[in-house]
Amino acid sequence: MAAAATAAVTIGPTAALVAEEGPSGEAAPAAAPPPQAPAASAGPRLSRLPLARVKALVKADPDVTLAGQEAIFILARAAELFVETIARDAYFCAQQGKRKTLQRKDLDNAIEAVDEFAFLEGTLD
Amino acid sequence: MAERPEDLNLPNAVITRIIKEALPDGVNISKEARSAISRAASVFVLYATSCANNFAMKGKRKTLNAGDVLSAMEEMEFQRFISPLKEALDAYRREQKGKKEASEQKKKDKDKRTDSEEQDKSREDDNDEDDERMEEEEQNEEEEVDN
Repeated sequence: MAAAATAAVTIGPTAALVAEEGPSGEAAPAAAPPPQAPAASAGPRLSRLPLARVKALVKADPDVTLAGQEAIFILARAAELFVETIARDAYFCAQQGKRKTLQRKDLDNAIEAVDEFAFLEGTLD
Repeated sequence: MAERPEDLNLPNAVITRIIKEALPDGVNISKEARSAISRAASVFVLYATSCANNFAMKGKRKTLNAGDVLSAMEEMEFQRFISPLKEALDAYRREQKGKKEASEQKKKDKDKRTDSEEQDKSREDDNDEDDERMEEEEQNEEEEVDN
């Protein structure tokens, strides 16, 4: 248990540091496999999206004064769930067209079809 | 610095991996679709932030907290996210607690080690500096977003 926790300490902050430093956040998340998984009892994966990038998005809102670290984390995780959801809904459209490659139009169809995605209309162009 | 908020993208590699894992094997995604999903994710975060902020303001608070984000999910009709998000939050809190305890333990161990090493080696460790720097960075991480 201690070993796993130590591993989390070493990898966690380092990954965060790398993400903070450069826009090429591709190396950092890829290099940080979920070490937290074995620690918890088959617990959910903690977010793969770099919190620094999410924080930057939150900061972009002029009305936001402060945001706690937990809020940033939950937003990151929610964004992940959102990506999974919209990818699956778009795939459903691709299947209708008997295709195995998701295309932009599948996404547009999903946005039109699913009520929850209404907020995206007009934002992706 | 003159970027529009929607241009702040999340890393492509991570987005691609999330998409691939959500879909069955053998399914591909075009570059345009991937890029559109990435953009959609950014818009989602912005919209959720705005919603969450409304809840914070209603509660006369200046700091967005996890509860505000959960309320925002409900408002945005993403109730199905709420349960997995709560689980993730619990795991995150446990991990944060574990991190804190582990780093405190590390410090104790380091102190023990340094005491015994003092007699042998000279003090040319730059490990200490690294640790201090790391701890400082950790403290920075806990700083809240400030506008």
